[in-house]
Amino acid sequence: MIRIEGLTILFESFRITDLHIEIEEGEFHFLLGPTGSGKTLILESVMGLHKPKNGKIWIGEREVQDLPPERRNISYVPQDLALFPHLRVKENILYGIKARNLDLKTYEGYVQTLIQVMKVDHLLERYPANLSGGEKKRVALLRALAPKPKLLLFDEPLSGLDPSIKVEIQQLLKILHSSFHTTTLCVTHDFEEAYVLGDGITICIDGRIEQAGKRDDVFLRPKSRKVAQFLGAKNLYRARVLKKEESLQRWVLGVNGLQFSMPLSLCRDPIEVGKEVDLFIRPEEVMIIREGKPLKDSLKRNIFEGEILDIIDRGRYHMVYVQTMQGKIPFEISIPNYAFRNLNLSIGKTIKVALREESLWVMS
Amino acid sequence: MEDERIEGDEKMNFRYTMMGAAGSLFVFYLGLLFSLLCFASGKGFLDALFHPHTLFSIQLSLIAATSATFFAVVIGLPAAYALSRFEFVGKRIIDTFLEIPMIMSPIALGASLLIFFNTPLGEVIQRRGIFFVFEVPGIVLAQFATIAGLSTRLMKASLDEISPRYETVARSLGSSSWQAFYKITLPLAWRGLIASIILSWAKALGEFGATVTLAGAMPGKTETMPVAIFTALASANIDKTIVLILILVVFGLVTLYGVRLTGGRRLYD
Repeated sequence: MIRIEGLTILFESFRITDLHIEIEEGEFHFLLGPTGSGKTLILESVMGLHKPKNGKIWIGEREVQDLPPERRNISYVPQDLALFPHLRVKENILYGIKARNLDLKTYEGYVQTLIQVMKVDHLLERYPANLSGGEKKRVALLRALAPKPKLLLFDEPLSGLDPSIKVEIQQLLKILHSSFHTTTLCVTHDFEEAYVLGDGITICIDGRIEQAGKRDDVFLRPKSRKVAQFLGAKNLYRARVLKKEESLQRWVLGVNGLQFSMPLSLCRDPIEVGKEVDLFIRPEEVMIIREGKPLKDSLKRNIFEGEILDIIDRGRYHMVYVQTMQGKIPFEISIPNYAFRNLNLSIGKTIKVALREESLWVMS
Repeated sequence: MEDERIEGDEKMNFRYTMMGAAGSLFVFYLGLLFSLLCFASGKGFLDALFHPHTLFSIQLSLIAATSATFFAVVIGLPAAYALSRFEFVGKRIIDTFLEIPMIMSPIALGASLLIFFNTPLGEVIQRRGIFFVFEVPGIVLAQFATIAGLSTRLMKASLDEISPRYETVARSLGSSSWQAFYKITLPLAWRGLIASIILSWAKALGEFGATVTLAGAMPGKTETMPVAIFTALASANIDKTIVLILILVVFGLVTLYGVRLTGGRRLYD
């Protein structure tokens, strides 16, 4: 377990105060935030490069905020990897084991397994300058994992890679994590990366933790408009709470005269009639209804008619931009290609959309 | 070459003007070297070369320059590291002070040293420790004073080229700062450091002003090669002058060639 408690860091113009993060044993945790939000500074403080002004950091059972990096039992993979150019791949890999004076024999089998999993056995005698981008990443990961650190620190692990290699490394990270369960703290600004790999996510904006929790909790149920916007929330509306239907256990919310109905449970903070709130639904949770097809209960209550303004082929999926007839509310709808082909959509066509009510989310 | 044709005449003129300047510099220095040979006469030349004072000067110069470089590196390397890696109060001032020997005339530097040894502190050092004034240690000190700033600057530049991230990673993997320094940064900066050391050594070898001011020009005692050139010329001993100049030139060219070697091919490919 990694615990950061009340950490205050002052560094140059950055100021991070009273920071709390908890990472469970074996968790792949993401520290997600826009560029310049101070997340790298947090990472470097966990590593021991900056002395915090206040607060405590626990790695496992040990309080480490006063220890130098070499005594924290961590491994760090920076964005530029920093493979040692004057050492062969093999020497790079064994660096941590030797630096910590660990017994090479006890680690031999484990390192061999890692070498197999990472498919780097044919690269061992090379120098880093002769490796491809993907190979360098794999060697850097291996070097970090070899001494079995208590905590693995990543800085933007997938940035600067070609898309195909990015997917490959992402898969590899997933496999590594599920096989070795190394507790990992990863800093990134790419929420897709965090979504694919993260168990837990902490969102840091302007040096402040905006939200922390399990992945789905953060992605589907953002705490504030700020978080939702950072996560790329498209369908975000200012709404007013119109009434509470006690008998149905539902709220009715109004946006521009359009009424939305949602279960009482779908908001984090208490809300009341008359209050202004933010309503949010992910583009993939908006359905385009096919005439004559039976609808699930969860889709029945929020059905709106609208006109298609634009369709963009995003390669893996289509984005459909719809404006409702009543209220003129824009919706972005993402639909998989196979569904798009069945729907026979075109610009200017009038269609009906249904919102999955469990996917509606309200922030006050 | 094709781009020249496309660029047209004006560009060609530009190019030839610039290259002409480079060429004339080469001819200028080559001419200087050739003129030396015009005055070299066979027998006097060999006599001057094997004269005990000449051999002594060569030996003294090599020993003094090497010692001065040694001290400049022992103190300059950690200093260069600090200036390259850390932020601290007074860093700017220290950095500026390193330029003092470069902007100060060598004679002035030597005179300052001479004056220092006449202060109470300087006198104590001379009485209780080592004699510098008009002694061999004075040569080493004068050369050290001349090159320490330069060599620290050069070494700092080579350390600047090595990303501190390597050390960060090494430390996360379990190395102490010292280990990270000698296992990672030092080998990575090695070529640049060697080049800095060679250049500093060459500068120490040719040092005249500070040396002659602090250590004097006693043949067979404190007369280094540059000082010997000066005294030989002053006594109109052209053969000796030319011999010493040529030896200095040979040493210089060899060291410069050494620098080229270290800066050449990329390592670890």
